Amino acid sequence: MTTEKNGAGVSRRTVLKGAALGGAGLVGGGALLSSCGKEKVTGDVHWATRGGGETGDAIAKSVNDAYTAKSGNKVIAQQVNSDDFQNNFVQIMQGTPDDAFGWMAGWRTNARADAGLLADVSDQIKALGTSLSAAAIQGATNPADGKQYIIPTTYYPWGLHYRKSMVADIGMDPENIATWDDFIKMCTLTQKKGLVGFALGDKGGWEAMGTFDIINARLNGYQFHIELLNGKQSWTDPKVVEVFKYMELLIPFMNKNILDISWDGMRDLLLQKKCGAMLMGSWFANDFKAKSQADYDDLWIVPFPEINPEFGVDTIDAPLDGISVAANGANVEGGKDLAQFWGSKEGIDAAIAGGDTSIYISSDFDTSSYDAFNKQKLAVLGAAKNIMFFLDRDTRGDFAGPVVGVAIQNFLKNPKDLNKILENTQAQWDALPTL
Amino acid sequence: MNTTVANKKVRSRRSLSQNDRFTLSAFVGFPTFVQLIFLWIPALATILLSFTYWNGIRISDIKWAGFANYKNIFLNDTLFYEALKNNLIWLLWFSLIATPLGILLAYQIDRKIKGHKIYESIYYIPVVLSLAVIGIIWNFMFQPGGFIQGLMGRDIGNAVSIWGNYKINTYVIMAVASWRHIGYIMLLYLSGLKSVDPSLKEASAIDGATDWQTFRKVILPAMKPVNIIIVVITLIESLRAFDLVFIIYGSSTSWPLLNILVYQNFAGQGISMKGAALAVILLVLCIGPIIGYLRTVFKEDS
Repeated sequence: MTTEKNGAGVSRRTVLKGAALGGAGLVGGGALLSSCGKEKVTGDVHWATRGGGETGDAIAKSVNDAYTAKSGNKVIAQQVNSDDFQNNFVQIMQGTPDDAFGWMAGWRTNARADAGLLADVSDQIKALGTSLSAAAIQGATNPADGKQYIIPTTYYPWGLHYRKSMVADIGMDPENIATWDDFIKMCTLTQKKGLVGFALGDKGGWEAMGTFDIINARLNGYQFHIELLNGKQSWTDPKVVEVFKYMELLIPFMNKNILDISWDGMRDLLLQKKCGAMLMGSWFANDFKAKSQADYDDLWIVPFPEINPEFGVDTIDAPLDGISVAANGANVEGGKDLAQFWGSKEGIDAAIAGGDTSIYISSDFDTSSYDAFNKQKLAVLGAAKNIMFFLDRDTRGDFAGPVVGVAIQNFLKNPKDLNKILENTQAQWDALPTL
Repeated sequence: MNTTVANKKVRSRRSLSQNDRFTLSAFVGFPTFVQLIFLWIPALATILLSFTYWNGIRISDIKWAGFANYKNIFLNDTLFYEALKNNLIWLLWFSLIATPLGILLAYQIDRKIKGHKIYESIYYIPVVLSLAVIGIIWNFMFQPGGFIQGLMGRDIGNAVSIWGNYKINTYVIMAVASWRHIGYIMLLYLSGLKSVDPSLKEASAIDGATDWQTFRKVILPAMKPVNIIIVVITLIESLRAFDLVFIIYGSSTSWPLLNILVYQNFAGQGISMKGAALAVILLVLCIGPIIGYLRTVFKEDS
């Protein structure tokens, strides 16, 4: 009953490490990009920018204008609300979708590709050639048919974020928070100053999934985590109970209003120097930069500390993002062409010129100009040999949010109910239809 | 005499011109058609789909599931019972507190107590706002970093937990929802009261009835049509509650309601026909009491 419900084997999830080390071979690749020999793609192309406000629009405009200059095809862009787009994705894709858009690798791409909603971009990935590491392509490959439905472009690490100045203030070395003991000591000392030791917000129901992911990976290893999310391990396993026990250890250091704040509340706590540390994806770093360069320079990220020496810090949540093409778009070939441009050197350069601070996977991407924080992000990514995509991309959609997200919220509400919550989680997995 | 009435009826029906008939059938037919397309067919489809497994994409993927979705909801889904409880609290709160308060206000304003115009305007204002807007307003007030937290000198880190505090959030949500509901009921009742013949009140006063007796024994029965509307509105508002809570909590189910569960399972990222089953349960809950109530009311009439 509990097997193969994810429709996605474990095998696809190999390492993206190669990509993190990229940058070395940044020359060369460009020559392979041009789709020479192929017929020229024509016609207007529709592009959807997923959220990002003014920055998102600026980046999209920069890239799309560069595409228009190169191909002569006009790009009609609109910005869509990121959450609405995700939640209504299936309906949007069955209607009259924009041709190309930013999307997320993992279950959300593979399941929708299996349903025939996304166009095969394997040829475009081939055309991008060696600029994408084998590992990155592997991460974007749908295990059901071995094809790619997303052109991987960027990723970001989930790690422990803090301010160097605040850690120095409590007499610890900001560059050296490596073990669980360091981490607890840091939380304790910060709390003694009347601040929040370890910030957590879970109003959205997904934020704390990151904490669960990483503690499970640290305690029980990557393999166990992925098997658990694919129904090959049981939620009532004592190993899972242990994960929640570790989470419970952290609750005393947390703010008392976990279910009142979302990820932006956590960000604000760190921005306003009201908390010692938090676990989150580093996408919010732009907001530090927007406040002041000094705040940005103060920001730091390290891997979540080691718990079980058997696994060290060998795993990280690093969701892989990219560009997908709607199968029902008005101009599918145009969409593919535009998607390929976004993944090419010219596209990446245009995105960066438009203000993008993401880490690109492509080896065409020059990391030598990185600031200290971005170099540290690369180091954090490089330290891991297993990459998770985050819980809501590593397991099926009707399980992640409606079941696991709720279970974690219930646990945070009342940790004493843990056994009941886990039994219920397993029962709900067992009741899922096979895909 | 009977025959003449019957004759009249027949004649008046016959006297409909071609034009009238066309107009009439258009007036009846078009709404029926719209209802059929947008309401009844989807409702029937939802009922059928609630007995299947489907991810909402290819028709050919639909698999028969029997009662599995319902079984899953009733046996495994703790959220369902929490949502049911919240909907029930909503219903009880509205029936026992908010609606009676609205009626009381209407009665007082109708008696033209001092400053009744001002009260009327104050209570009426929230009625023009949709519950979604009310959600935005009060979320802005209570959320960490919000206005009221600021007044109390609380920053995000030590903000008083309101939406996430399970001891009080239910009451806060009820209070916010009532803010509008009371005014709504007041308005409906006030218009009803205005149509009650004042001589009835005078007569009962002369007969020596107290205010309360007059209200209960004279005015309330005279207002039967309005009462029916108010009972139905209170029921429906409580069961269909969605927007206010959705604005505050987003698609997460931190304070679940049946409608929010339907949305989460039906329109969210993991589409499953568990959402259809939840929608059917909600439909039954909505229709059952209303049919029952209307039947007893119409029985009394005839």
